[in-house]
Order: sequence, then C-alpha cells, then structure tokens
Amino acid sequence: MSGPGGEVAGIALLSLRIALIATVIACLLGVPLGFFLGWTRFAGRRVLLALLNTALALPTVVIGLLIYLLLARRGPLGALGLLYTWQAIVVAEIVLALPIATALSAAAIQAVDPRVRRTALTLGAGTLRTAWTVALEARFAILAGVAVAFGRVLSEVGAALMVGGNVRFQTRTLTTAITLATSQGQFGFAVALGLILLALALTVSVIIQLLQGHGDV
Amino acid sequence: MATFDVAALRQAYGGRPVLALDALTVREGARLAVVGPNGAGKSTLLRLLAFVDTPAAGTIALEGKRIASGAARRGARLRVTMVEQRPYLFRGSVLENVAYGLRARGVSRAAAAVRAREALARLRLKELAGRDARALSDGEVQRVAVARALAVEPVAVLLDEPVSGADRAAHHALFAALAEEQARRPLTIVFASHLLEDAYRWADDLLALHLGQPSPVTPENLFRVDLPGGSAMQEVQVGPLTLEVVTDRTGPATLAIPPEEIVLSTASLHSSARNVLRGRIVRVAEHGAAVRVTLDAGIELVALITRKSFDEMGLAIGGTAFASFKSVAVRVF
Repeated sequence: MSGPGGEVAGIALLSLRIALIATVIACLLGVPLGFFLGWTRFAGRRVLLALLNTALALPTVVIGLLIYLLLARRGPLGALGLLYTWQAIVVAEIVLALPIATALSAAAIQAVDPRVRRTALTLGAGTLRTAWTVALEARFAILAGVAVAFGRVLSEVGAALMVGGNVRFQTRTLTTAITLATSQGQFGFAVALGLILLALALTVSVIIQLLQGHGDV
Repeated sequence: MATFDVAALRQAYGGRPVLALDALTVREGARLAVVGPNGAGKSTLLRLLAFVDTPAAGTIALEGKRIASGAARRGARLRVTMVEQRPYLFRGSVLENVAYGLRARGVSRAAAAVRAREALARLRLKELAGRDARALSDGEVQRVAVARALAVEPVAVLLDEPVSGADRAAHHALFAALAEEQARRPLTIVFASHLLEDAYRWADDLLALHLGQPSPVTPENLFRVDLPGGSAMQEVQVGPLTLEVVTDRTGPATLAIPPEEIVLSTASLHSSARNVLRGRIVRVAEHGAAVRVTLDAGIELVALITRKSFDEMGLAIGGTAFASFKSVAVRVF
C-alpha cells in the first residue's frame, strides 16, 4: 500500500486481523474450558475460578514482559524467531483474552437456571445433549464474553508494543500508532487513529448485538 | 405391576434429612396425589421418582426393576418424565420444546415435529406450536410443559404443583387432558399439591407428607405452634387466634384439626366445644356426598360436612359461618 491513507488502512487491517485471530483462538480454548469449570464440580474448582478471576486483572505489560522473555532470542521459544512479528502480538493477546473468555463463559454457565439441566435430564437427554442444551441457553451471555475479550484485545497497547516493537508496515497497530503519534506531538493524527479504533470496536459490538437478537442479556 | 416401588428411601441436602419414606407402591395407571405444606418433601420425592436426583439411601424400582446405577437411571428417565412447579421452556418455539424429548430419543426432526404437534393438539394447544416459548403466559407455559412431558409417551408423568398460578378453568382443562391421556394408554400420574381439594377431586390415592415423612393426618388444618405448657388445657396462639388445646407437651409442635371434627353453624353455638371461630367461606369443594368448606377465620380452616347440611344451612362462598370444635379434638404431634 502506498501513501498515508494506505498506511493507515494497513494499520487498521493488521489491528483487526490480530484481534480476530487472538479472540478466535482464545475463545476456542476458553469457552470449552469455561464450560467445564462452570458445569462440573470437583475439588479445587473454586481455587481455579479465583485464580482465573485474578488473571482478569493481569496488567498487559506483565503479559508483554512474559511473552517477551519467552520469545526473546535466548528465551525458551527464541528459536521460533517470533519476537517483533505480528504473530508475537497474537500470542500475547491470546494470553490476555484467554482468562476473559474462560471466566466469563464459566460465569455464564453458572448463571444458567438449574431447571435447564433437570428439564433436559427428565426429558431423556444424555450427558452430552444436556450439556449442549445448557450451553445453548447460555449462548448470549457467552457471546457477550467473546465481545468483551475482543474489545480488550483490540484496545490493548502495552503487550503489543513490547513484543511487536511497533515496526512500521509490519507490527504497527492502531494502538501502538496512537502511542507513537502522541509522543511525536501529532495529536490530530492520533485522534484520527483513535476514531478508527472506536469505529472498529463499535462495528464489532453492533454485529454481536445483531447476533444476540432478542436474547435477554 | 407397580410402576414405582419405593423402599427405605432417604434424601438429605447438606446433611439435613428432608425425606424419609419407608415404603410406597404406586400401581400402574394410578393417580397419586402427594399433598403437604411447603417444605413437606413433595418436590424432593418427585425428583427422586423422576430419577433426576440420586437418593441418599433406599431403593426405587420402576416396573419391577430396581434402578440403582447411573446407566439405569438414564434408562429410567426415558420412561418417566417430570414437570416442575415452575416449568422451564427452552429458548426457541413451542414446537421445538415439545419435540425435545423425542429428539433426545433419536426420533428424526420431521417425525418429532409431527408427534409434537399431536401432543400439543391433545392438550388443545395446537395454535401455540409456532409461538416463541418465551412469550407465553404462565398458564400456557404450564400446559406446554405438560404436553412436552407427555409427547414422549412415558409410563409415568410426575407433576409438581401442576396448577399453581393457573386459574381454575385452566386447572380443570389440565386434569381433564390428563384423564383423556390415561384413557388412551396406560399412564401413571403422580402429582404434588398443597391444595387437598385438588387431591380429592383428581386423585385415586393420596400420600400426605409432613416435614419429609408420611403424615398420619391429611395436611388440612395443620398449624406449627409453640406450646406454652403449664397445664393440660393450654391456650395456644395460632396466627391471630388463640385456640384451646389439651396436651401435656410444651415447645414447638404441630396442631392438626381433623376437618370432620369441625361443626359448622350459621350462629355461634353454646356447646361443650371450647373453640368457636367466626369466618367467611372462601372455597367449597364437593367430595362425593360431602362438601369441604374452607373458612377464613384469621386462619384457614377446612370443615367436612354433608351436602345435605350444606344445602339446608344455605351456605355459600362469601357467606359467614361459625366453626366449632372441642379442644380434645385437636391433635398434637
């Protein structure tokens, strides 16, 4: 892409791509995990849920540092050569989004009316169908959790900066570009990027609202 | 063959015993009413008979076969369905809800839809098939839930307070539909109710529960009291009223005033009866040649009198009557 317009479009698309991939992977892992935590009863479950809720408040710079140390040339995963690539940002954002997707899915399952399980059972549903029925009843709350995870990933800056390096045309995202523009005194540009970010977040939020339809969440 | 055979059944929640039933046999095609006040253990018993909950101890046999393992319970759930007091309808249409049990049994989508429509038609709910299940009135929810439970043609259906919240006409329609279903095929019905008049009207057998155990008396005119003690003739506070009771006991107890021991009159009686209460007639239910009259005297009292006496005295709902009973007629346990 050429010209400032092209560069901005590239930055916006990269931000969207990173956020979508990270959210999808985090949710593919986190929603089933959250279902398991919300559905089953086992020793240590409460401790796990408490840890998970703590992870929700994990500072993004700590995540950035952790992933940086893992991916640094001398780190355990240094051989992969991922540091300062957009894939490294995806990894960091997955770590950020996973506890959100898991904790909110677990909460969504726990909030399902206990009559759902009993009703499915008494109507002859087996374990799998009962679990699926409970998940379906919780789907709008789970989807809300997915939206929260996506919003958090899209607006994240600390980890993206640390593991992506804000490399022009390669790892520069909307948030890291805003940080740079602000530090260079290009406030108008920073505000314009901020508006694009808001527009993206709004679009995704509206899509999720439409998906939820008449769901009472 | 009996549909249910229960032996030494015990249930406890968090270590607290909530049900103790030494024996219960429900024959095929029976209409058993489980009656008792709130907390009597009615729902607990129904959930155990529905094999949704596992008992703390004891056994339940379904059609002669003891159901003990998880797999057996799963199999039993394919033959017994329960309708909760406040039934839950899944998101989706009424038809999808009614077809749910059939789909769970591997019936194809098309065949399940046909049978679900038939079940709805039998409950006179055909027109609701395409409606959003979340947009129904309470009474409709109740009837759809019954249609859903019957659609799978179970050997027994368990109904927890099937008419609470519904109006009397809906009430009548529901039991009439259940009777039609029973006429069509073998079906055992167990329903829980706190209204004894429903039990007398619709059931052919009755199990009265009180504090998780079979009660020696029917749950009408049962009152939790605190006996003051001091003498054999005690003045006991029951709600806003004071009743005279003969007992040596003190402390918490349950008073039972048998409905057949209550004399109704249109004027206050001067007799040996120590307790005379004035009240308004709020409900009347016919029970063969007898009539169960519910009087609101500050507490609700049910009196059982003959149809002839009822007619001769000109009693009617909304009218005033006096209830008299001897203090020795009040049972304390």
